[in-house]
Amino acid sequence: MLGSVDSCVLAGLQVRPIHVEADIGAGEVKFSVVGLATTMVKEARERVKSAIRNSGLEFPGRSLTVNLAPAELRKSGSGLDLPIAVAIALARAHRPAPERTAFLGELSLDGAVRHVDGVLVAARGLRDLGYERVFVPVEDAAEAALVDGLEVIPCASLLSTVQHLLGAEAITPATHGALPAHAPGDVLDHDLREVHGQEEAKRALEVAAAGGHHLLMTGPPGAGKTMLARCLPGILPPLELAEALEVAQVRSLLGDLAPGRPLDWARPFRAPHHGVSMAGLIGGGTGLALPGEISRATHGVLFLDELAEFQAPVLQALRQPLESGWVAITRSGGSVRYPASFTLVAATNPCPCGWSGDGIRTCRCTPAAVDTYQRRLSGPLLDRIDLQVAVRRLGLEQLSSEPQGEPSSTVRQRVVLARRRQLARQGCLNAQLKPARLRRLAGLAPACRLTLERWAVNRGMTARGYHRAWRVALTSADLDGSDEIQEHHVLEALGFRLQDAAA
Amino acid sequence: MAVVGSRRPSPYGEAVAEQLALELARAGVIVVSGLALGIDAAAHRGALNGGGVTVAVMGTGIDVIYPSAHTVLAEAILAAGGALVSQFPDGTTPRRHNFPARNYTMASLSDVVVVVEAAEGSGALITAEAALDLHKEVMAVPGSVFSPLSVGTHSLLRDGAGLVQNARDVLAALDLGGEVLDDPLAPPKGLGFELRRERDGILSHLSDVLALNAAEVARKLQLPVAEVLGRLTALELEGAVKRHQGGYVRALRRGKERA
Repeated sequence: MLGSVDSCVLAGLQVRPIHVEADIGAGEVKFSVVGLATTMVKEARERVKSAIRNSGLEFPGRSLTVNLAPAELRKSGSGLDLPIAVAIALARAHRPAPERTAFLGELSLDGAVRHVDGVLVAARGLRDLGYERVFVPVEDAAEAALVDGLEVIPCASLLSTVQHLLGAEAITPATHGALPAHAPGDVLDHDLREVHGQEEAKRALEVAAAGGHHLLMTGPPGAGKTMLARCLPGILPPLELAEALEVAQVRSLLGDLAPGRPLDWARPFRAPHHGVSMAGLIGGGTGLALPGEISRATHGVLFLDELAEFQAPVLQALRQPLESGWVAITRSGGSVRYPASFTLVAATNPCPCGWSGDGIRTCRCTPAAVDTYQRRLSGPLLDRIDLQVAVRRLGLEQLSSEPQGEPSSTVRQRVVLARRRQLARQGCLNAQLKPARLRRLAGLAPACRLTLERWAVNRGMTARGYHRAWRVALTSADLDGSDEIQEHHVLEALGFRLQDAAA
Repeated sequence: MAVVGSRRPSPYGEAVAEQLALELARAGVIVVSGLALGIDAAAHRGALNGGGVTVAVMGTGIDVIYPSAHTVLAEAILAAGGALVSQFPDGTTPRRHNFPARNYTMASLSDVVVVVEAAEGSGALITAEAALDLHKEVMAVPGSVFSPLSVGTHSLLRDGAGLVQNARDVLAALDLGGEVLDDPLAPPKGLGFELRRERDGILSHLSDVLALNAAEVARKLQLPVAEVLGRLTALELEGAVKRHQGGYVRALRRGKERA
């Protein structure tokens, strides 16, 4: 007696279809799983056996072989429990494999179907592979139902699933399209209105938000760098559907989606501690790498506080994703590729004690120590940061007399308009514009070019820096609603290049 | 003459030290300083630019240039006929407790010690005290009352140190006044600085000593911060303002040479 169903395993965001076959033969009582299964999958035997028995179904008292095809692909994860059990049940019932249908779910010993990570990723991948129906754990059904063109059958227990398949008792498919309404984000946790003063840094945030530029804030402790950084998601437009799905996919892989509300329109904000490991930040793990903080921050903000305290190799590893917007990680189990298209906001003290340049407390660091500290922020990384701004600490009495800022919602309106201009003109944000397209789309008037060149000569700005300043100038023009880059746009862009000012 | 002061001066202090050393070197005065960062380096540089002789009194062995970034400066001092002087054995590395002794030597090698910008407890004040012990003349350059770097110099002035407003004040203390009063190079008043003519109203809101950032200037002028940042950058490109401590200060530039 042979039964079979389809399932899949995940390699990062890629879906590999698996054909699960169960054969009940004559011979001594045994239960073996073949097909390059990892320990986690081999343990499925015990769960499947108990689940079948405790569901009131009969476990075959004869030789039972389960094959996971293709045989050369390593399979891990507990999502194969349900397909194995269903294949056995279909073998006993002499039923053919349901067509263009896949199963995914972990079993508990009592036969309940439990959550597995990555259901959204699996559902999208299966849909793209031509599947029409998926059976998923009931608590992951909302996640799978985000994918259109796919019927989602929520499975509460093995018994109900099998009865549905045998036509005894139908399960109602999960309704698709239950997308939560766009929350306009009127109530923000961090609103620019609450930040007194710091207009220069706020302007830098606005430019960063509008053009997708990376930003570094330098200033003493307590100057409000963290507060400012947390305001950035609030001045970004809400996620587009495709972006939200990509964010949800990464979170799905990590089992981090809110139950019942899988899709979130808010921009991610990730703030890993400076002790974070390479695997934690970039992604990693054994076998196949899981996404790291940079992928969780995709389409949102990655905030690195105390930038100089991060391990140098970890910062070095940021360079490639900063340029390309994705990251490829190779581990023993293979290579995976994750999105990593984030806006980097970094903050650092100006010196080890933090008080250099503070008007209120004096710095006690030796000039050599300050030098070493600043050199730890590697040149190549700083060269990829478009905007740098010094944040100054205000005394308490000054703080209360400083004017309140504009609310985030007002700033966001300008950001949205500027982004719309960019997308209409070039289909991407200014920060992602390649030099050749930049030259073609946003030519510089001679006066502007001269200013940039003078700065480059005086300050030793690199060619990369030159193009970065040009892009920021373009964003400044977009915020102005100006079709041409004017000299004051270029000058503003250069005003945010503190890295060159040391000459 | 010894010129001493903060290792982290304001652009004002740096400009004063450099200009003072330049004019005095031109008048034939030997400028003594300590080869340290900040005021010391500015004084050596000024003396060299003035075509004069300058002496660096080191707190390390004669073969240890500290900070190492000043190797080029030390070579320039020697090339111009100046001297590197050290009382410590070869190979002595920078040690905190050696510097007061060095300061004493600096004072003893000079007839006048001029302090430019010294915060409370600054090493420059040790030099000034040593000079008093040795019955040498101590003089100080006043600074902004808002700046912590003026605390040391102003307390010296209150205690009777000579006021330095220009090179001639120092020359008078050195009893060289008569010669130089006829010097057509000597500016009539103050140091030979020329403030850039106002074109856009931003400069008058900036100080020589205390840094203001674009946001603070923008508020005074009631202008958008983006515009002010751009205009400050334009002034920076022209050399009229300088970045300092997370903000901007007015850059002091020497006036036209009248030779």
